[in-house]
Amino acid sequence: MARSVWKGPFVDGYLFGKAEASRASGRNEVIKIWSRRSTILPQFVGLTFGVYNGHKFLPVQVTENMVGHKFGEFSPTRTFPGHASDKKSKRG
Amino acid sequence: MTTGNASSDVSKDILVATVGRPHGVKGLVHLFAATDDPASVEEIGALHDERGVVWRVEWQGHGIARLFDATGRAIADRDEASRLVNLRLYVARDRLPDTDEDEFYHADLIGLRAETREGKVLGTVAVVHDYGAGVSLEIAAAAPERKGQDLIVPFTRICVPEILFDQGRIVVEPPHEVEVEGDLSGRGDVAVRS
Repeated sequence: MARSVWKGPFVDGYLFGKAEASRASGRNEVIKIWSRRSTILPQFVGLTFGVYNGHKFLPVQVTENMVGHKFGEFSPTRTFPGHASDKKSKRG
Repeated sequence: MTTGNASSDVSKDILVATVGRPHGVKGLVHLFAATDDPASVEEIGALHDERGVVWRVEWQGHGIARLFDATGRAIADRDEASRLVNLRLYVARDRLPDTDEDEFYHADLIGLRAETREGKVLGTVAVVHDYGAGVSLEIAAAAPERKGQDLIVPFTRICVPEILFDQGRIVVEPPHEVEVEGDLSGRGDVAVRS
């Protein structure tokens, strides 16, 4: 069952302060968090979070498209190394 | 040892497919593509195995392919196909299509030496992570005392300002790391209403 709309999205409160502090500092920062359950809010767009997957803190660069999803969705706990040997990626 | 027209060093080539068990009695095989898009195995054209023998692939169905040898002769029976099980097919790196600007093959990035601007060696690029939230590079620590403390940096122009393939290295500016710990006894969870 989906979460009731009247409750609003769930976010661990301490993320707000840290996100604000990080944005104010303007430094090149990765905010290490364990809160995989928190919803990504518009306030987090543009920041980089290191989301713990039980093993490592994987950098998650928050974009507008990710708003409404949970942080944990972008830091898989079980990695499939993949077959693709010609895989390529763009530098952000 | 290599023969034929293939490249002389298979270790630098890119694995594109592995031959599986035979399919049917007419020489078809199960083929496991190692490329992002399986169709590209056929589009690349001439491939070669570890011994340098040239092969060509033609897809016949989902995961099923016909193999052609260097002379263009198709593998025609099951016995011949069963002798090719586990055959690995490679392509030379320079035959892969060019990438767009600021786009890199993972195979090119892995193994590069990571250094700071001051020249301090951080380690070697071991893994390229890409799970839909930006690409990041995992740098295996060089110093033995830092073994297991690998560094993961976002693959951005700020954190990786220079990529110097000719020198086999990248310049890395590791981001500051800020740790956040929960204070659930205080403000607790926050509900944001839209």
